Formats: sequence, C-alpha cells, structure tokens
Amino acid sequence: MPIDPSGPLNPRHYLILLLLAEEATFGVRLMERIEERSDGSVRFNAGSLYRTIAQLVEAGWIELRGEEAVSEGAGAPRKIYGVTAAGLAALRAEAARQADLLTSVRALGIDG
Amino acid sequence: MSGRTKRGRSTPPAAEPTRRAPSWLRALLPLFPRGHRRLYGEEIWEVAAHRWTRQGAGWRATLAMAWDLGSGAAVLRANQLRDEGMGMGRGWGMDLRFVLRSLWKSRGYVFTAVVVLACAVAANTTIYSYIQGTLLAEPSYPEPESVALVWGRNLEDGQRRDVISGPNTLDLRESLTTARVATFHYDGTYIELDGRPEVFTALDVSADVLDVLGIAPAQGRGFGETERRSGGAPSILVSHGFWRDHLEADPDVVGSALRLEGVPHTILGVMGEGADFLAPAPIVRVLHDDLLEAQDRGNIHYNVVARLRPGASWDQLNAELGRVAREIEAEYSGFEGWDFHAEPIQRITTEAVRSVLWFLGGAVTLVLLVAALNLATLFRVRTAVRREELAIRAALGAGRRGLLRVLLLEPVLLALVGGGIGLAVAPMLLAELAEIVPPWIPIPDSAAAVPVLYAELAPGVAITGLAVAVGASLLLSLPAVLQTVRAGRDTSRTELMSGGSGRVARGVGGVRWLIGAELAVTVVLCMSAGLFVRSLDEMLQTDLGLVPEGLLTVRFGDVWDQPFADQARYFEQVVQSVEAVPGVEEAGVIDYVDFRAEDDFARVYFLDRELQPVNSVREEWRRVDAGLFRTARMPIVQGRDFAPEDLEGPARTAIVNRSFAERHYPGGDAVGQLISTHDSGYVDMRIVGIVEDVWSLGPTTPPPAVLYVPQQGSPRGTVGLYARTSLPPMELAAAVREAIWAVDPTQPVMDIAPMTSLVDRWYAIPWAARSLVVTLAGIAWGLSVIGVFGVASYTVRSRRSELGIRAALGASRARLEGDQLRAIFPVVVIGIGVGIAGALAMGTAVRSLLYGVSPTDPWVLLASIAVTAAAAILAAWLPARRAGRVDPKEILG
Repeated sequence: MPIDPSGPLNPRHYLILLLLAEEATFGVRLMERIEERSDGSVRFNAGSLYRTIAQLVEAGWIELRGEEAVSEGAGAPRKIYGVTAAGLAALRAEAARQADLLTSVRALGIDG
Repeated sequence: MSGRTKRGRSTPPAAEPTRRAPSWLRALLPLFPRGHRRLYGEEIWEVAAHRWTRQGAGWRATLAMAWDLGSGAAVLRANQLRDEGMGMGRGWGMDLRFVLRSLWKSRGYVFTAVVVLACAVAANTTIYSYIQGTLLAEPSYPEPESVALVWGRNLEDGQRRDVISGPNTLDLRESLTTARVATFHYDGTYIELDGRPEVFTALDVSADVLDVLGIAPAQGRGFGETERRSGGAPSILVSHGFWRDHLEADPDVVGSALRLEGVPHTILGVMGEGADFLAPAPIVRVLHDDLLEAQDRGNIHYNVVARLRPGASWDQLNAELGRVAREIEAEYSGFEGWDFHAEPIQRITTEAVRSVLWFLGGAVTLVLLVAALNLATLFRVRTAVRREELAIRAALGAGRRGLLRVLLLEPVLLALVGGGIGLAVAPMLLAELAEIVPPWIPIPDSAAAVPVLYAELAPGVAITGLAVAVGASLLLSLPAVLQTVRAGRDTSRTELMSGGSGRVARGVGGVRWLIGAELAVTVVLCMSAGLFVRSLDEMLQTDLGLVPEGLLTVRFGDVWDQPFADQARYFEQVVQSVEAVPGVEEAGVIDYVDFRAEDDFARVYFLDRELQPVNSVREEWRRVDAGLFRTARMPIVQGRDFAPEDLEGPARTAIVNRSFAERHYPGGDAVGQLISTHDSGYVDMRIVGIVEDVWSLGPTTPPPAVLYVPQQGSPRGTVGLYARTSLPPMELAAAVREAIWAVDPTQPVMDIAPMTSLVDRWYAIPWAARSLVVTLAGIAWGLSVIGVFGVASYTVRSRRSELGIRAALGASRARLEGDQLRAIFPVVVIGIGVGIAGALAMGTAVRSLLYGVSPTDPWVLLASIAVTAAAAILAAWLPARRAGRVDPKEILG
C-alpha cells in the first residue's frame, strides 16, 4: 500500500527513517538496529522489512546510496540505503506534529 | 590408558550442526512478485538467513525462515491482487474465494484430505530423510568410494572382522602398492577440567591418516614427519566442537598446550567443522611408528583404513593383502590361520541397518500409495458431489477455464496445507526417531560400531515430499476434473434440471476398486507389522545370562604403570568403597563391561592334551574379581564361584562359560581340567566352575565362549565395575563416582550407565523397526478405513431416493443394510485376496530381518486378514445402517 504523505507517519516508517537519517546502512544492519533501538519490541522479518523499504523508496523518502562489497563467496554486494531530502522533511514534519502533541499534553499538566 | 586400552570407546558426541541457511529455502523466493524479487530478492535472502542463524540454526529456525519468506511473499501478492482489482469479480482472486467458501462448507472432506496428505508426507519425509542421513550421507572426506577398512580375519575361528597388531599395520603400509594405508583406533582419554578428570573420546592415528583420508585441519597443521617417531613434544589435534566448547573458540589456540592424562600436549591444529572420520572425536592423538613397531605381533589392537591408488581395484588390493598375510605368516610364528581383507567403507558402515531401512523405505512408499488411492477416491467422490454446484457456477457464466481453475485450485490448496502440515511435523518425528534408533550402528561380526552422524530433515526430501503431495493431488484429481470440464455447460444444464441426483453415482463406480487396492496394501503392511512384533517378542524372551535390571556399570582407573599386585589391590579397594555406598548391595570388577561391543582374546592351551601348541585355540577371556558373578547374577551351572583366596597370589583357578565347556569339553568334564594361556600371568590354572553364557553381542548372536580368570594375574589398568542395587541405578551414579574418587581422586571415571541401557542398544534396531512398521501399518489401516467409509457413505447418500422407494415398497431394514454391505463385499474379498499374495511375497523378502518367526507365519497372516477385514466391514457397516433408516416419507414427500 502506498504511503499517504499527508497523514501521521506509521511508527515503523518513522523508526526506519530515523535510523537511516542517523546512518545510511544495509538491510541486515538496519534490522539489528531496529531491534536495538526498540529494545526488541519492534521486529521485522525479511519480507516485512523489504516491503516497508520498497514503500519508502516508492514515496521518495529513502534511496539507494551505493553498494558495499562483501568478502568473496559471501554473496551479492550489500545495498546501502539512506534518507532523501523528502524523507528528512517527512521526519521533520512528524517531529513537529509530535512536539505539538507533547505541548498539548503538557498544557494539561499530565506530562511525566 | 592410551596404549593398551582395547577398543575402549566413549559414546560419541552429537554431530556439530552446519551453520549455513538451508539453500533449498531459496525455492520460496520466486513466490515474491517479480519486480520486488528483482530489486530486493538477494537482500531478503540475506536478512532471512541472518535471522535463521540468530534463531539457533535448527529446524525451528528453518520453519521460521520458511514462514518468514512464505508469509512475506503472500502479503505482497495479496496487496498486488487488491491493487489490480482482482477481487472485483474476475480471475484468480474470486476463484480463490469461491474455493475457500466451498471448502469451508465441506469441512469434513477438507479435514480428511488434509489428514491423509499430512500423514503421507510426514511419514515419507521422515523415513526418507533418515535414509538420506544414514545410507546416502556423504562422508567428510573426498572420494569415499575408494576408501576401505582393512580387517584381520582368523580363518581358524571364523572371525570375519578383527583388528590388527601394530607391527602388522606397518608391514601393510610398507608392502602394499595398490593402496595407501593408515592406522587408527578409538579410545578414551581424560583432561583435567575444573580440578576433575573429564573423559573424552580420542582418535589415535598414525601420522599419515589425514593425508590418506584427504582431510586437512582448518587451523594449524596435521601430524607430519616430526610426529612420525616418538621423542618429540607430545602433540594433538582438536575437533572444531572441542575448540568451540572447551577452548572458547580461541583463534590463537594453535601452539598452546592442553594437559591430557596429566601430560601437557601442544595443540598442532584444529579440525574443520564436521570433519570427522567414523565417529566424532574431540581429541586426535598420534600413534608413533616406532611404538607401533615395538608392540607384540599377537597383540591385535588397531583398525586400518586404506585408500585405493588411482587405477587399482578392490580385487587387486585383496590379492595383495593375501600375499602380505602369507609373508607375515612365513616370517613370524603366531600368525597361523590369519588373513587380511579390505571392504569398501560405505558398505560396512551401514550394513546392519541397510536392509531394515530399505524395507522401511518400501513400507512408507506403500503408505504413500494408500494415501494416493485414498485421495483419488476422495477427489472422485467430491467431484461427483459438486456437479450441481459447478453446474450453477457454469450457468452463471463461468467458462471452461474458470471451471478448470476452480477444480484445480482445490487439490492444490489441500496439498499445500496437508503437505505443509506434514513437513512441519516431520522434524518432530525425526527427533522422536532419533530417540528410538541407536546412536551408533554396530558393524556386524566385529566389535566396532559407527555412529549415526546425521538425521535431520533433508531439504531435497522435504521439497520432493511437498512436490509429490501437490503433483499427486493434481494428477489424481485430473480425470474427474477433465470429465467435468469436458462435459461443459450442456451437461451442467441437464444436471441442474435433474436436480443433481441420479447421475452422480456413476462417477464413483470405479472408486470401489481403488478401495480394493488400499485393502490389499493394508494386509501387506499389517503382515509386516505382525512379523516384526513377533520377531521382537522372540528376542525379548532370550535369557541374557545375567540380570541387567538394578545393575550400574562404570569404567574407571588408569593404573597401567603400577605393579600388578598394586593394581589388583586398588580395584578391590574401589569395590569396598563402592559397596559402602548406601543402596549398593554388592559390586564386582570385570575388565570389559558386557554389552559394550568390546572383545579381547587369549590363546588357550589345554594341558590335558598332547601336541601343544597346535592344540591351542583363540577364545575370549575376561579378568574378574570374586564378586562379579554374584553381582551380575550370572548363575554357576557346575562347580563353584571364585573364592576370595583365588584372588590372592598367582592366578591358579579359572571358570569357563557354558559355550566354552561344551565346545572344548563335550564329555562334560571341564571342571577339574588344567589350562594355560599365552599370558605368563595365567598358566596352569584349574577350571573350578562353569558359569552361564552371557549373550553379550545381543539376542541374535550366539554367545561367545569365554574364559574367566582372577584379575591379579596381569590386570588391565582400566576396568569396569558392576554395582547391584534395588534402587534405580542412575540414582547412585554420583555417589559411586565419589566412592571411586574417595580411593584416588586423580583416577578417571567414565561411561557410567545402567546395564539395561547397554542391553537395550542391542534391541534398538529391531525395536525401532517394529515401532516404525507398526506405525506405518496403523496409518495404512486408518487410511483404508477412511477410504471404505467415504465410499460407502457416498453410495448411501447418492442412493437415498432409490432406498426410500424400496423402503416404501416394503423392503426391510435388514435387507437394505445387507444390500449395501453386499455391494462392498466383493471389493473387500478381492482386495484382501491380493493382499494375502503380496503379504506372503513380502514375508519371504524380509526373512533376513526376522528372528525366531517364519516369514509366512499363519497366525500373523490370519491376524492381518482379520484386522483388515474387520476394519473394512465396520467402515462399510456404519453408513449401511443409515441406508436402513432412510425415511420414505422424507424422500417421497
């Protein structure tokens, strides 16, 4: 399903964009970092990870940055993904939306 | 213990798993939509393989990976279908929904078909994976087809596969031109870990064994010229598993030292993963040529492996071995009657199980056949039942292609679900199988054994299983499908107008004969099961000559370098220490624990006869103490047991077993005779008693003749101990170990096991075969019941109108029921008749696998016929009862 750029970001898209904004990387590493960052609460399997990557590529939010060679006989080169300017804008918009939310919550005096 | 232990062998540890994701799962990648696969296929594979490794790389990880790939592809495909509007009323999407709805309405049929498929796929995948892992497994060394084991053979006493003395192995190496040979021997060793000696299997090899086998260590180097002769620093190789588990996978381990039996040994190299020879051995030690040369030619001890040189044949090698044997015989005394022969290693290692496994392969294929016949029946009946429903669909505008899609989707879906469940269950069945089959396979006519190295779900077999399920379902449904589609819309219209009844029965006429074939195969499998059950019963009735229940066995000690008197004293101190353990009633010592497939021969001289030494023979012998026979409950049948005074001073008394007495003293006058052995510690001994035979090579091999002598004459530095208890033996294991260490904490204690577990090994193959054949026969029987019930039910259902009319015209209930049974009766009779012929033929084919039962045993045959016929009649009778209860008012109203 294509991404709706006008709505709030899906948390999984948000997490991937955030991690790729920190560091452009390849699939296996990205999966590990997702689990590290979410303390294991968010897990992707191979199918769902690349379904999400495909959606983000299609939306123009991430792009292929290049390939990294692996040792001989260990398989195909690894594709490195990074965030595009549009992706950063989406991330920024989501951060602003969340900041607004936070402000509203704080106004009620119920923040931690 | 290293030099003199004869075939002491610890149970080998399990094989190390491979750490590469199973490449057959790549077959799931094409399930992803093409564009997505092209862009991301390799990356998806890499991520999935990474998760597989992190999840433990076992079968659960494999299932998770299959699910990962399969579900990922399914979600994308579903999205694609939705995006392309396939759910809007046309094409596969709608067909799929139609089929799923239709199947939901026929849950009984779906359940039956899925169970049939799952049973067949699970059983076949399990058995053939096991065959793949044992009979067809590739060894870790290259060109295994040119590798052989060379045995000694004593023409005098009929021993077919025996070990070879050190000097003779060197003569073979130097004399043979047709093959390269190397010497090896499995032994136990101990390494001090956490302050206690821990026992490991060690493979002792001549320096050239790795070259001959073509294996190289993964790190460091193998043994070379430096290690060929003694005098250098002691060195070893370690297995990958030992390096990983006990050396923390240290990459710089080569060159460091390990204390083996108290002596530092330099680690020269680490073997590669899975690079085992016959059995996994954590430690590989070197046998120095000069020490082999210095041994007594009569002290047979070693195995020899040979690799044919290019261009040489087995016949040439065996001719050359014969020539070398005659040369040794001419040059040295004591080698009279001996010969050498080589056998291809792959033939030997699976000899004990080959016939059983191929028989099981055949049996499980018969189960597949029954399942296929059953599916054919189900599909025929199902298609006939659905004519009305399909006619409605045709009337609503479905074309031939649409009908074809619907009709073919159904068997494919069922096959995928049933086959998938079968594949999911198969690894669990394999794990169960690993519990009931022996961890090692004895090499017949020898004291050697090889472990089952691999018994995991074989990818090729799994794919074939699923492919067969889908292929068979499609193929078996095809006749009915084509008939329906060819008939086309005209027929459909007629069908609709006739209300869908009447014509349907025609569709299942031939199905009854499929049932007949199922029953025939069921009789064959029930007969096999009966024969295996009887055969095992016969084996279990064999009196083994001792009472294994309540007997704990253990091997201990490494006191070879102490004076004989001190060794004997140490062993008796251990016996006293063990007897003081609460729960231990008595204990005794024997140099080789029974049922461990170990043997040791003495040359025996009969001093009451003339013409020595021509009149000497080779017989098994055992060194024991005065408590052994009492502890093992081995009855003395004549004369007396050893008394404590026999165990003091020079050994001057002996006890022989019943076979020994009958063979050498057929006049019954063994007690009182004088005998000597080749060993100077055992000369001029008077036979004081005859003890019952112990069937130490299992119930199917006649017990060997054995001479028992008091241990103090020339003890072995490592011995076995039996402890009798009324408690579960393993409850005393820790206390017995501590009691042995209480005498000397530096001595190794190994192989603690209840005697029952050692005995059970000899029943393991027939036990496993019986369990499997009974299971397979049970599956076939169940499938036949389903088949008969299905057809009988359908016949009654399709004739309801006719039955109603007959009931209205006054036909009695019994008459209507009887007619139904009579209709199925010829099929049952002919099916079972064919089955009897097949069962008799099968019985003859498995004659060699049976023990104490005739392959044409009439009682087993009768029972098989009765079980099958009763099932068939019951399965036909239940629907027939419904025939008698049809209410005419309901039908005619």
